[in-house]
Order: sequence, then C-alpha cells, then structure tokens
Amino acid sequence: MEIKTEQFSEVAKEGMKNAHAHAFLKLRAPLVKTRRETALSTFPDAAAAQAYGAVIREESIARLPELLEEFEKNALANGAKVFWARNANEANQYIVNLAKERGIQYVTKGKSMVTEEIGLNEALEKNDVKAWETDLGEFIIQLLHRPPFHIVGPAINIAIEEVRDLFMEKINLKEPTLDPVRLGYAARIFLRDKFHRVDMGITGVNIAVAETGTIINVENEGNIRFAKSSPRTQVSVMSLEKVVPTLEDALHLVRLLCRNCTGQKLSCYVSMDSGPKKGGEMDGPEELIIVIVDNGRSKIYHDEIAREAMRCIRCGACLNSCPVYQQIGGYAYGWAYSGPMGQVLNPLLLGLERTQDLYRATTLCGSCKSICPVGIDHPRLFLHYRAKDVSGDAALQAKKRPVMERIFFRLYTWAAARRWLWNGGVRIVRPFINKEVHQGVLSKVKGPFGGPFNGWFRSRDLPAMAEKTFHDRWKEKQKAESRKHKTEGRR
Amino acid sequence: MEQSARDEILGNLKLTPKKILPPRPERPVLRELSLTREKLIEIFSKNLVQETGIVHRVKDHPEALERLSQIAREEGLKRVMVTTDDVVAPLNLTTWGKENDVRVMTPRDFGNRDSFRDAVFGEADAGVTGADFAVAESGTLGIIHDKDQARLVSLAPILHIAIVPVERVVAVYEQVMEKVFGKKENLPSQFCFITGPSMTADIRGIPFKGMHGPRKVIVILVG
Amino acid sequence: MESVSLFIPCTVDLFLPHIGEATVSLLRRVGVDPIYHQEQTCCGQPAINAGYREQVKKAAKHFIQVFGDDEKVVSPSGSCVGMVKFHYPELLAEEPLWRRRAEELSLRVFELSQYLVDILKVEDVGASFEGKVAYHESCHILRGLGVSEQPKKLIRAVTGTQLVPLNAADACCGFGGEFAIHYPDISESMLKDKAENYLASGADILLLCEPGCLLNIGGFLNRNFPGKKVMHLASFLAQSQETMNNER
Repeated sequence: MEIKTEQFSEVAKEGMKNAHAHAFLKLRAPLVKTRRETALSTFPDAAAAQAYGAVIREESIARLPELLEEFEKNALANGAKVFWARNANEANQYIVNLAKERGIQYVTKGKSMVTEEIGLNEALEKNDVKAWETDLGEFIIQLLHRPPFHIVGPAINIAIEEVRDLFMEKINLKEPTLDPVRLGYAARIFLRDKFHRVDMGITGVNIAVAETGTIINVENEGNIRFAKSSPRTQVSVMSLEKVVPTLEDALHLVRLLCRNCTGQKLSCYVSMDSGPKKGGEMDGPEELIIVIVDNGRSKIYHDEIAREAMRCIRCGACLNSCPVYQQIGGYAYGWAYSGPMGQVLNPLLLGLERTQDLYRATTLCGSCKSICPVGIDHPRLFLHYRAKDVSGDAALQAKKRPVMERIFFRLYTWAAARRWLWNGGVRIVRPFINKEVHQGVLSKVKGPFGGPFNGWFRSRDLPAMAEKTFHDRWKEKQKAESRKHKTEGRR
Repeated sequence: MEQSARDEILGNLKLTPKKILPPRPERPVLRELSLTREKLIEIFSKNLVQETGIVHRVKDHPEALERLSQIAREEGLKRVMVTTDDVVAPLNLTTWGKENDVRVMTPRDFGNRDSFRDAVFGEADAGVTGADFAVAESGTLGIIHDKDQARLVSLAPILHIAIVPVERVVAVYEQVMEKVFGKKENLPSQFCFITGPSMTADIRGIPFKGMHGPRKVIVILVG
Repeated sequence: MESVSLFIPCTVDLFLPHIGEATVSLLRRVGVDPIYHQEQTCCGQPAINAGYREQVKKAAKHFIQVFGDDEKVVSPSGSCVGMVKFHYPELLAEEPLWRRRAEELSLRVFELSQYLVDILKVEDVGASFEGKVAYHESCHILRGLGVSEQPKKLIRAVTGTQLVPLNAADACCGFGGEFAIHYPDISESMLKDKAENYLASGADILLLCEPGCLLNIGGFLNRNFPGKKVMHLASFLAQSQETMNNER
C-alpha cells in the first residue's frame, strides 16, 4: 500500500474539510466511549484488568525470541507449517509461490493489518491471483481503492449513498437502498460465492499462543471462519509481536480486546487453530501455514522504550479517544496503521525521517495512554522519537532539527538555568514581541521572532509580554515591604 | 552458507539481553460465578438473548425434537445439514426428518469435501449442531471441531440451531480451556467460541446481524 | 503558619503574572505564607517536549537546586508539576544522585487546587460570585495528575456560584505547546469545538487550572468571541478582576 506519511498536513486538512466525516466522528465519539465503559464495567475491577493486560504484553515483548521459538515448536508439533519472513518482499514472494504452486486463481482474505503493511494484495494481483477482501469494511475500501480510515472500521466514514452507488455499480445490487442491512445482504450474497469455491484463505492472527502453538482470530462477521473452513489451504500471517505466553493470557487479552474494540464482552466468533484438520474431518484446511513477518521489528527491538509500541493488540480504542484523530480522520496518518497506535508504530517501521508529523501532531493529552489495555505510554514514545531526532539515531533514521530551533533551545535552556540570563533575555526580546501591542493584547508578532508563530496568531490573540514579570513584581513588593519595615522600625 | 530468515530474525532479537521483569501480580479475579447451574443457565440465556439469540429450554430428548419440529415449521425449513456429534447423533434426526418432511443431511453423506461444501452452502436452510459448552459469562457456545463436528455446519447456513445439554453450561471461559486444551499432544484442529448471530457495523458504525455467518441462532437447552 | 514555596510557570511569569499574584493573595487569605525563590525560571517543559533532553538537564538541575530544600512546592499549573514529578527522575536517570533528589522532590510538588483541597484540607476560600461557571479539565491535570474533584470542590464552595456541566469538559483544547503553532488547522478545529461547548453551557465564565490552556482558549475567545470570559481558578478564587485586557 502506498505510504503517504509525509503528506500528513495536506491530507489532514482535507480530512477536516470533509464536513460529513467530521460530523460523523464527532457524533460517534461519545457513543463509542459509553459502549466501551459499559463493557469494561463487567470486570469486577476494570483498572486492574487493564493493568494486567499491560503485564502480559510487557512480558510477551520482553521474552519475544524465546516465546517465538516455543510457539514455532508447538505449531510444528500440531502439524502446521511455519515460514519466517524478514521483510515484506519475502513474505509476499512466499505466499504468491504457495498460490501459484497450487494453481490458485483467487484467495479470500480476512481483515489483516499486517498484510496491508506488506502490500500482499498488490503482490498477489501482480501475479494474477485475485485477492478478495471479505470483511465488509475492507471489501468496500478495496472496491473504492481507498486506504483504511480506522483500523477497526476501515470504511465507517463512507457515506451510505456512496456504498449504495458502489454496490450498484460493482456487485449487482439491483434495488437502490440506503438500508445498511440490505446493502450488507448484497455483499453477503456476492462474497458467499467466493467463500463457497475458495481454495486458499488468508487470515491475520490476533494472538499466537506460545504454550500450545495455537493461533487465535477474533471477528464478528464470519469471513475469517470461512477462510479457515472452506479452502484446502489456510495461510495465516502474523507480525512477530503477536505471540503471548499462555492460553490463559490469551483469554484475558481477548476479553480486553473485545471490550476496548467494540464494547462487546466477546466478539461473535473467536476461532482457535492448533494445526490443520485431522483425518476424517470434512472441512478445514489440509495445510495450515503460518507466516511470521519481521519487517523491521527485530532491528529496533534493542530500543527498550520504542519497542513498547509492539505491545499493541490493535483494539483501536486509542483512535476512538484521540482528539486529533477525531478532527482529521484516518487517512492523514498515511499508512496501514492510523491514530495513536500508528503514531507509535509507523516511525519504528518506516523510520523517523519519513514520519515526522506522526509523533509531532499530538498535544500529548494522554487520552490514548489512559485507555490503552496493554499500557502503552504513547506520549512518552512521542517524546522519545523527538529526542532521537535531536540526539541522532541511525537505526531509527532520525532527522536533524532545523538550525534555528536548535539555537533557540540552546539559548532557552541556558537561560532557564540562570535567572540573570533569563531576565536579560526577556528584556531583549520583549520590545520585539510587543511591537504590535494594542490594549495589552497582541494580534500579531512581526519580524524575526514572528515568523514561526504565525500559526498562533491566525486565529488567536496573546497577552502582551508583561512589562513587569511576576519576578519583577515580587522583587518590587519585597523592596516596598522592607522599606516600610525600616520606616516603621524607625518610628 | 546464508543465514536463514528464521535465524536472522531470532538472532537480531537475541542480541538484546533479556530484560528482567518483576514477578507478575495476581491475575485479577473474575466475577466468581460460583453459582448454581440454574442461575448460570439464566445468565447464559440473558446474555445470548441480548445478542438476539433465541433460547429454548426443554427437559428431555422427546421435547427437544418437538421443539425442533416447531422451529422447522416456523422457519419453513425444508433441508437441514446436521452434525454427527455426541449430542445430535442420539437424537436420530434422520427419523425426525422423515416425520417432519425435512430432508436431513450429514457431512458424511457426501463422498468428498467438495460435494459436502456445495450442499452446506447451497442447499441447507439450517445447520443443526451440538455444542461442547455454553458459557454463561457472555452467552457463548464452545464447539470443538472434529470429524463429527464439521466447521461449516454452524457457519454457512443462515440459521444455526445448537442443542446443548444443560450439564455443559459453565460459568467462564477458563473452565472450557482445561477440557479443550488440557492434552497438548492432541489439541483440536479448531475450537470456536460462538456468541449469537454474525454481525457487522462497518457501514457508518450502524450494527446489524447476519453478515457472512448465520443471521439467526437458536439454542435448545436440554435438561 | 504554614509556608509553601511558589513555583511560578514561565507562562505565568512572562504573560500572566496576575495569576501568580492571585495565587499569592489566595494562599495568604487561607493562612499560608508563600515564599518565592527568585532564582527560579522555568521547568524546561518546552525543551523536553521538543526533544532537547541533554540540553535541558542543566535547567532541571537548577530547578532541583532552587526547590530542593522546600517542604512543599505549589504551582498554578498541572503540566509543569507533571514535568517535575514524572519527567525529571527519568531525565536524570543516569546520574543516581540527581535522580534520587528528583524523586524526593517529586513527592513534594503540588498543583494549586490539589494542595488546597488534599493537603491543606480547605474547600471554602471565602470567595463569592453570583453566576454560572463551567470547568475545563486540562489534560495534564486530569490524566497526568488525576486531579478533577479538587477544583470542582473549590468552585462549588464559592458563595452564589453554580457549577454547570460542560459538554466534553475533558476534551483537549488543542494547545499542546508547539502543536498549536505547528499544526494550527487541527488546533483551531479543536478550539472551535471547545468554544462551542463553552457557549452552549450557559456559563458566564469558563474556569481552568492550566496557564497554557488559558492562553490558548483565552486567545481564541478574545479574537472570535470577545466578551466571553475565561479565567484561571486562582484568579477567580482570589476575586481579582483581571481579564486579558487589563494587563498592567
């Protein structure tokens, strides 16, 4: 999929101009919040449950290599095949070859972010294997050639009218309708045929259980179960951070995932595969192939702060709670992963240089951190990446900061360590800043100090820099007090 | 010799010394559903009905079959696909089918997986299965798939009817896990949790039931 | 007499000194003697947020030196308190002595409303105002420090004042320091929502505890909805009459 992380500002602007999508996100936010809170209240202690999720995922990441080895051992013992892919290319090549070797003409795909990350669909199509997205939202954006708007609901921003027109054009919807149920039914009929005759199904993996070599998928629609039941070959793709130690851990995370993601106690279907079908079974895959994708993760694993981003279980709660996401929607983030989780993950996988805006376009409000079921401290990670840009880090492809900024902060931090320098600096800068003052208020600042601050003054005023700082006033009052005491003393 | 991808990936990961973590805190206790079976059945039903599932309670096999007849009439069932698991098999649905003018098919009636697949997709008005568990915590069925419990029977037809002996009603998922995953050498190829009909909210966040899987789920609790 | 050390954020020192003065008079009114160490400057938050961690260490150490011996440090800002409490120990992690001093200091630094209600056990500060007010829950105060009930208790204790609900009170106002300058489109969009919610609340004054939010929301209101008031809680409780326009 095309990477547009460097076009953040433009795409964000378009996103905000889309009044339709904007209004939709605004309406949706409180509903989603309530649903999530209600679902979490079914835990005797929701905060403890969330904290435990963080414990599980912290351990999963800390023990990653040994858990992956344990997972592989058990998966192989179950009769599954395991393929390790260093990068997108290797994964795609391998899967394309599997398809070609088996004479596969089309595959049905369950929603899988990692396959979007590696661009699997494009690779398959280039090799004459049609890849049908079957999750309704993914299906819609595939037909529209759009990127995902939200990691859980990739097409939720698309107006119903547009879906109607699309289905009439592309999937034989006969009667125009704005009823989502009828539109969904049309998609059901169309895709059912694909499920019926499919020979190779491709899914992602929500959780990989090391203890038993089991892969777990969580879904509501049933399309993933079809990919695991109908064809003879099942390929399940996982990014390597999906592994957890035990089944008990997996269950806890599934409870958290469903509540945080859609406000459900449990999604409609949770399917757990431990190897291909056994003899005598009339359906299910004869071969279950698990593809473990690295794609840059093992290279940044040494960064103990940054790798916290790998805890993510893709619940999407951070998107729902993010005030910036709510304004701009998902396209601006420019890749498979949007919202705060994309803001912490994309820089790791694509490098800081091409993802600058992702960790800077945040107010550090902390909403994401406060609701994350696996304890990711997104604001801390954003600051970490910014610090890497300043100090330099080749592994992360850090980008040097502009020279004016570096000078500014050098002066600022010097002054902050010395009151006399602070005072001096204020005296020098103040007249320039206050040049356009009117009745104690600034509506603009011109000149060398002004430029960078135009973004502020476009729609906001600022109080003038005080002619007497608090420090000055306190000093004056102290002097007045002591003079008073001296005079009183003399009386 | 060139390093394999596996070795390279694991090698990269192992370059970092393993971080020592403090011991885990206690796992938070689940709402102890140490309740009577009747109470669990009540909670199971309530949860499933909330997801638009339909729950019937009957006391024995004959009543179950009567209820099935009623459902067949109400839903206009002409052809059903049934599994041969340990709940459904004793019900002798072939005979029931003849008595109720319903064609009863089982997966093994078909010589191969392709013709079974054609039938379950194209001909079955409903899929009838047993279930290994009914979990009260979320109104969820637990089904172990094996040679007598084909996967597509509870997935492809638009109506899924599940028959569950009440002894199989449990409180929480963990009670299921021991039984299903207890023997590591012989794990089921697939185990599914099923909670009500399939659904989606992908169009404007508006939720509705019946996307790719069944649109309706009926559970008959026996006992 | 109880005595506390004042930590005056740079935003207050430079742009909103009347908030500092209001804090002083408020503390005195409730029987606390505020001390102001004149050597203080800024906690360094803008620099840490911009990634200049190495460079800001000396400012952090200066701060610790200035406030290191104080029993209690009180500030009319949550983000600055958060900086000292949560960021300083990590910033100085590689220098164990400094790190320890930072950790000890972090236990003694309080946001103003937190200090008044939780430490001093005061809710009624003897203020009065006839009218309706709404309260904006600043991000660092609410989510960073877990402070939410304290400002509201102080507000409810003000004679004649009705605290009215504010829709999306905990939604970020779009300040975020550099964010407001570098991403003005998004920032303004968030401000518009905040302003709309304020207007819809029917409140006469919007109250908050964060100078950054005050500059942001105040600046936006002054330009686009002149006459709609926003005040720092310290100014409101100290019964000072300031608006942005009578800065002296």
